[in-house]
Amino acid sequence: MKRLSILIALAIAVPVAVPRVAEAANCESFTDVPIVYLQVGDTQTNLLKRLGRKLRDNKDSDGTPHPIRLVFITNPSCTNINAIYTPVPLIATTTMQYLPSLTEDPAWNADDPLHSATLTCTLGAARVPDVANSALFNSACPPPPTPPVGAVRAVQGPTQAYVLAVPTAAEPIAITFEEAYFVFGFGMAGMIAPWTDEAQLFIRKLTTSTLLAWAANLGITPASKFKGLQEAGSPDVAAAVINGTAASIGILGAEVYDGNRTTMKALAYRAKGQYAAYYPDSSSSSRDKKNVRDGHYTVWSPTVWMDLENPVGTPVSLDARYVINLITGGTLDKDPNFDMIKDAIGPVGLVPTCAMQVNRDHEGGELSLFTPGTSCTCKYESVVATTACATCDATHACATGTTCRAGFCEDH
Amino acid sequence: MKLHAFFITVPLVFAAACGDDGNAPKDAPAAIDAGGTADASCFTNPKTYNEIINACTDAVKVYKDSHPSLLNPDGTVPALP
Repeated sequence: MKRLSILIALAIAVPVAVPRVAEAANCESFTDVPIVYLQVGDTQTNLLKRLGRKLRDNKDSDGTPHPIRLVFITNPSCTNINAIYTPVPLIATTTMQYLPSLTEDPAWNADDPLHSATLTCTLGAARVPDVANSALFNSACPPPPTPPVGAVRAVQGPTQAYVLAVPTAAEPIAITFEEAYFVFGFGMAGMIAPWTDEAQLFIRKLTTSTLLAWAANLGITPASKFKGLQEAGSPDVAAAVINGTAASIGILGAEVYDGNRTTMKALAYRAKGQYAAYYPDSSSSSRDKKNVRDGHYTVWSPTVWMDLENPVGTPVSLDARYVINLITGGTLDKDPNFDMIKDAIGPVGLVPTCAMQVNRDHEGGELSLFTPGTSCTCKYESVVATTACATCDATHACATGTTCRAGFCEDH
Repeated sequence: MKLHAFFITVPLVFAAACGDDGNAPKDAPAAIDAGGTADASCFTNPKTYNEIINACTDAVKVYKDSHPSLLNPDGTVPALP
C-alpha cells in the first residue's frame, strides 16, 4: 500500500524527474554535434538539464558554433567514482537522458514542470563515461577509492547542501545535531519525538552522497548504522516524505528539496557546538544559500567532477574537459554564449566555489575561512536574491579595494 | 570576545513535556528570531570553527532547547548501539 502511494506521489509531485521515453534511439546515432557522456549523482539532474539545454545550441563568445550534446545517467556517487576510476563501463542498452535543442523542441523550459522532461536514448555499445560526478569528497566512500595514477583528473565544483525534510504540515521547524544523531543512529530507541517510527525515516543507499554526507556530519560511522528505509533515488525520498505521516523525515540534497518546496519543508539544523539552528538559506523562504556560503549551515559537500586524461596530463576528451571547466569555474579558451551562474548553477540551488567563504578538507570536517581567488559573491547574490554590492561599468569605477567584475564591485 | 550570554538573554523558557507517542520526551517548540537582532553571544570577526558557526549574522535563527534523554551526563552523545 505504501509503495503504491509513493508511486502515485512520484507521478504527481515530481513530474520533472521523469524522462520522456517515447523515442529510444541509439545515443551513438546522434552525429550532428559532439556528445559528452556523463554519469552523475541524481542531485545534479537539474544542473545537467539546464546546462545540457544551453550547450546543445552553444556558441563561443566570438560567434563560432560550439554545440555539445550532454548524454547522462544518474547513479550513486560512489558508483560513479568507481565507474571512472576502475573503470566500469556502462553496458550496452543502458537508457540515457539528454536534452532537446531549440530546433527539436522550442518550448522546452527548465522552469516549466510540465515541459522540462529529458529525452532518452540507449547506448549501442558499452562505454566508460567521459565525465563522472560525485557530490561528496571521494574519500568518504567506503572503502575510500584509490584514484588511478595519471588516468583521471578530479576537480571540485559547486557546493551541494543537504537537508532534513519533513512534510509541510509537520510541527517541527528545527533539529539539533544531538537529536539527529539519536534519530538516525538509534532509531526508535533514540526517543526523539516525533521521529520515533523507523518506517518513517527515509534515507538513501550506502553509496550515495546524501547518506554519506549526513552520516559524516552526524558521526554515524560506519554509515551502515544509519537507520531508516533506503529509497532508490532522491525523488523516492521526496515522495515518501510528502506522503508520510507527521513523523516522517527524509534526507535530501538541497537542490532536490528546492524543487519540492511547495510540498515539504527543510528543518533548520543546529550543528554540534552551535548556539542556534539555521536553514541553508537566510530564511526558510529564501534561496540565497547564505548560511552555506558563510558557514552557519554545516551540512554540505563539494561536488567533484572527474574526466579521463592521458599519462602526459592532457584530457582524453576536450569536450568533456570543457564541460567540467564550465561547471567548476575552470579556465576556458572562449566563453560560452550563456552565463553559467545565472543560467545553470544559481537557479538549481548549488553554490559556485567563487561564492563560498568557508571550506573544509574532508567529509563532515570542521569549516575554515576561505577566500576564492576570484570572488563571484555579488554576481551569485544577484542571481539568487538581491545584492548589496555596488554596480559598475566602463564609466562607473569601483571603490578602492574592490574589482569590477560582471557589473559588480567584488571584494577580490 | 563576547560571552555566551545567549543562554541568559534569549527570552525563552522551555519546558519539557511528554508527547502522545509513548515515552519519547517532547521538548518545547522552537522559537524563531527572524534576523536583524543582535545576539550577544555571536562573533564579529570569526576565525576558528566554533566562531564561524556562531558568527554574527542577520539570517533567521531558530532557537531550540533540546534534552535527549539518552545524552551522557556531560552532554555528549553515547556510542552507537
